[in-house]
Parts: sequence; C-alpha cells; structure tokens
Amino acid sequence: MGLCGNIARVSLTVAAGRRTLLLAGRLGGPGAETMADHNPDGDPTPRTLLRRVLDTADPRTPRRPRSARAGAQRALLETASSRRLSGQTKTIVKGRSRGARSIGRSAHVQARGHLEEQTPRTLLKNILLTAPESSILMPESVVKPVPAPQVVQPSRRESSRGSLELQLPELEPSTTLAPGLLAPGRRKQRLRLSMFQQGVDQGLPLSQEPQGNADASSLTSSLNLTFATPLQPQSVQRPGLARRPPARRAVDVGAFLRDLRDTSLAPPNIVLEDTQPFSQPTVGSPNVYHSLPCTPHTGAEDAEQAAGRRTQSSGPGLQNNSPRKPAQFLAGEAEEVDAFALGFLSTSSGVSGEDEVEPLHNGVEEAEKKMEEEGVSVSEMEATGAQGPSRAEEPEGHTQVTEAEGSQGTAEAKGPGASSGDEDASSRAASPESASSTPESLQARRHHQFPEPAPPPGAAVLSSEPAEPLLVRRPPRPRTTGPRPRQDPHKAGLSHYVKLFSFFAKMPMERKALEMVEKCLDKYFQHLCDDLEVFAAHAGRKTVKPEDLELLMRRQGLVTDQVSLHVLVERHLPLEYRQLLIPCAYSGNSVFPAQ
Amino acid sequence: MALSTIVSQKQIKRKAPRGFLKRVFRRQKPQLRLEKSGDLLVHLNCLLFVHRLAEESRTNACESKCRVINKEHVLAAAKVILKKSRG
Repeated sequence: MGLCGNIARVSLTVAAGRRTLLLAGRLGGPGAETMADHNPDGDPTPRTLLRRVLDTADPRTPRRPRSARAGAQRALLETASSRRLSGQTKTIVKGRSRGARSIGRSAHVQARGHLEEQTPRTLLKNILLTAPESSILMPESVVKPVPAPQVVQPSRRESSRGSLELQLPELEPSTTLAPGLLAPGRRKQRLRLSMFQQGVDQGLPLSQEPQGNADASSLTSSLNLTFATPLQPQSVQRPGLARRPPARRAVDVGAFLRDLRDTSLAPPNIVLEDTQPFSQPTVGSPNVYHSLPCTPHTGAEDAEQAAGRRTQSSGPGLQNNSPRKPAQFLAGEAEEVDAFALGFLSTSSGVSGEDEVEPLHNGVEEAEKKMEEEGVSVSEMEATGAQGPSRAEEPEGHTQVTEAEGSQGTAEAKGPGASSGDEDASSRAASPESASSTPESLQARRHHQFPEPAPPPGAAVLSSEPAEPLLVRRPPRPRTTGPRPRQDPHKAGLSHYVKLFSFFAKMPMERKALEMVEKCLDKYFQHLCDDLEVFAAHAGRKTVKPEDLELLMRRQGLVTDQVSLHVLVERHLPLEYRQLLIPCAYSGNSVFPAQ
Repeated sequence: MALSTIVSQKQIKRKAPRGFLKRVFRRQKPQLRLEKSGDLLVHLNCLLFVHRLAEESRTNACESKCRVINKEHVLAAAKVILKKSRG
C-alpha cells in the first residue's frame, strides 16, 4: 500500500505540477534528470513516474487473472478520477497529455485500484517479457496510431484485462510496429526527435521503460539516443563505402578463373604475373605516371589511385590483369584513356558494383569524348570494345571488338577477338568495379588479341610488350640521376666549408647568404691556387710545398712573428693532422715527419 | 641551413676533404703538384679564411642589427676578407 500511496502522491504532485525536483531526486537516475531537463516546467513524465515507482515499489507477486479483472473494474471506476488528474496533467504537460493521461490512468488505477496483487513493478515486468525491445523513437506513422488506439482502447478497457495490461495491447502494437520501423527510425532519429518526445509521453513510456531497462544505453534518456545516432547516418550517407567491398570480392573469383584461362594462353606474361610485388604498384603507378602529364586534375589521379587500391584489394584478378596492363604501353595513349576512364568512372559511379554497367557506359562514353578530343583512335577502339562487352551481349561484343580490331588493322584478331570479347564480356560483367574493369577489359582485349591469332607473333609481341613497358619505365629513372654527378662533388666539398661558415657565424643565415659563401669560396680557391703557383715558380719548383703555404699564410697575415704556423696548426687542426704536419721527435731518435 | 635556423652543430666535422682539395688544385693548376701534407695546410688555410669571413659577416649583421645574416653582409665581408687573403 505504500506503493500505492507513493503513486498517489506522485500523481498529486504531477497534478499540482510541483516538486519535479523531488521526483527527480527520488528517481535519482540521470534519465530522470534529463527528463527534468526536457520538461523545463518540471512536469514529471510518465517515465519518471514509472522509474520512481520501480525504485520504490516493493516487489510483489501478481495474481494476474484476478488482478486483471479487478483492475478492469477499477479502471472503470477510476476513469473519472483519473481523467480529472490527467486533465490537470494535460494542462501542465504540453503536447504530452495523452501519454500522461494513459500513464496517469495506469498510475492512478494502480494507486487506487487496490492492486495488491498487481504492482507496477510486476506489470512492468510483464511488459518487459511481452514487449519486444524497440527504440523509443517512433516514426510518426507509429506514434499517431499509438495515441489513437490509446484513445480508442480506454473504452475497451472493460473488456480487456487490467489497466496496465490494457495498455499492453495498446503498446504491443506500437512496440510491434516500433521494431519493424526501428531500423529506419534509428536512421532518422535526428529528424524524429520531436516525434520521439511525443511518443515518450503518448504511450511508449511503459514499453520504453522496460526496454530502457533492457537497453539502458538507448532508453535511459532521449539524449542518449541522439548520441547514438550520429554513427549510423554517416554510414548511410556514404553507402558506397559499406557496399563496395562485398560486391567486389564476390565477383572476383569468376573473373579470376576466367583470367586464369586467359593467361594460360600467354605464358610469357606469367613472368610479369609472378612478380606480385610489382604487379600491384604497376597497376597504380603507370596510371599515375601517365595520368600526371595527361590529366592535371588531381581528382582523376586520386580516382586512379583509389582504383589502383581497389584493384589491389581484388587480389587474384590483379595478377592476371597486370600483364595486360603492359599492353597499354603499346598504344601509349591507352594509358591516358584509362586515366580518363578511371577518373570519369570513379567520379561518375564510384559506388556500387551493381551500377558497374551504367558507369561503364558513362565512363567509357566520357572517355570516348576525351579520346575524340585528343584524337586517339586506339583509345576509341578500346572504349568501344569496352562498351561492347559491358553491354553483356556477345554479338555486340563481337561486332564492336571486330570493329576495334579492324580499326587496329589486325584482321586475324577478329576471330579470337570475338571469343576474347565473350570472355571479356563475362569477365567484365563479373568484375564489380567499373573503374578497374575498364582497364582490365582493355588490357584483356589486347591481351587476348595477340596470343590467340598467332602464338609465335603473339609471343613475340608479348615479349616485346614486357620489354617495352620496362623500357618505358626505365627512361624516366635515369633522367633524375643524370645531372647528379656533375656538380655534386664540387658542391659537396664546398658545402663542407659552408657548414663550417655557418658554424663559425653562430647566427641564423639565409639561403642566399650561404650561396654567396659558396661563390666566395670558389673565388678564394682560385686566388689560392694562383698564389701557390707563383710561390712555387718563385722557388723554382713545380711542386707546391708546405713552405709555400707558410709564405702564403704569412702574406695573408695569419702567420706573424708572434703566431707561428705550428700554433695555428695546433689550434685549428685535429690531432691526426697535427701529427702529420708538425715534426715531432719519436723514440729511436726519429723525427716524424722527416724534415 | 634553412632560412632562419640557428646552426647548432655541436659536433662539427673536423675532417679535411683532402680528395676534394686535391681535385680542386689539380683542376685549377694541372701542371703543379701538391705535396703530401700540403693539402692539410690548404685545408687549414681554408678554415682560417672561412673563419674570418664568418666573423666579418657576423659583425656586419650585428652592425645592421639584423638577427639573420643576410646576403649583403656576406658580400661586404667577402670583399674585405678576399682583399686581405690575396697573397
């Protein structure tokens, strides 16, 4: 009965609209405080009430059937009084009257309904058992029907069981609806906060309370929900990130198998295939290489790099594609095409593998436009060839591939090109990534064309292919290393003295000042050599001796009568050099260096 | 040795770039020969020259009340020191 008394007090205070702090204090949970924060007026929401009830209520075993009926009868009796109080609460709680009403009714019924057997705790427990877990957030569609049934069902309370249990059917549909809409609801929690707040009052609090107990993190306070939401919308905002990996891997196996078949025809490419560590970087690097001069857009480069990464992630397919990549170098412009295609594809599509065909079309079309601009026929052919199989129709692929090959001028390639086109079509259709598929398809086509028509010429061509890309790759490297040996030793030697200069100066210096120092040093060395020559010639020698140096230093004013050369040597040179320069007497009556 | 970085090389290299010096001398005067320890003395000479140059440029910078040694300071210092260093 103490519980009922507490509930009565609670209801009274609710009606009075006072002592919300007391309620909050009693309830003690952060949720209560947040609820208090939510209700600046200090309106205790049903949740706070229920929490308080839970905290203070004594556990009792319910006698459900009897209590249900009794509760029903009591509900009938109490509706009038409860309505009064609920009306008061309505005035206090803005827009949450229904919830307050429903909860108030339940509370009041509990308070006055002689619920010896039925305690709110037990009822809530029942709700916990029956009501499925669902977020507080209810979409509007659910929230609105909730108050509607709540309004309707009070009339049915006579037929239904207990007050709270009456609410169960009200809540259960809401709760059943809630989980169904939970997923979208959670995603739109940010937008539906107001609805959530309404739902809190309107009839979800009971369900929310047990759910809150179950999912303490989610339902303790509305604020917590909002905190939880930011994670999901991000994933929703970028669905492509979530969707890409699975689509990719699912298809690569088929492509890999086909590529295996294809590569079996071209043994020379296995050499490149085996070089796994190089295959992947070559995927990105050649594209990057040729993209840089071709496409000033960093976006295209990033797209290529991203495509390169994607291709790298699709591991097995890469190995087979890497040998085909060298086939690009034959055309030369093909790389540009691929760069453009990659860039356009990645920019245009960039997301799901399902849309690969469409972005393929778009990217290839765009690539075609670019090709037309550049006037690269080969790229056009490749684009058309890529488009053909991308449409996943063999005859079209045949025709287009044949067109491409005819334009290339290899009539023999038509037949095998058609078959290769089929494989390409299947492989391309399989490959999820449009960006990677286009270079793959382009390379695959080229790859197929050469070996199939004539294996020996194909082998020769293929052998030339790996040679050419290697040749193509190497020239850029020595260019960078070319100019190094020229000035570097001289500069290196000078830099030593420049460092010494900066060390002696003990002050920060500008780069231009250091360059100036280099020039000074050059001039100094010239002067030095000239002077030494003169001195040696004056002495009638052709070899510069230390005496010449000493004379020079004397003329410079470094060596005076007070300061001898040896002193200077001792001052500035390390021990090893001192020993070499200054004659010293050693054991055995020997002097080193000999004079 | 950046724009305004104080060179705090506590452990300066004391080694003489003997090969470098010999190469320079040979380029300049191929007809002459340099003796064994002659390049060490040349190195000593260079050290002293650089030392004087640094001191002079530092003085110039301090006179102009700059915290950084500028190109002009070095230029002015070089004029003086090179004149001094001519044999």
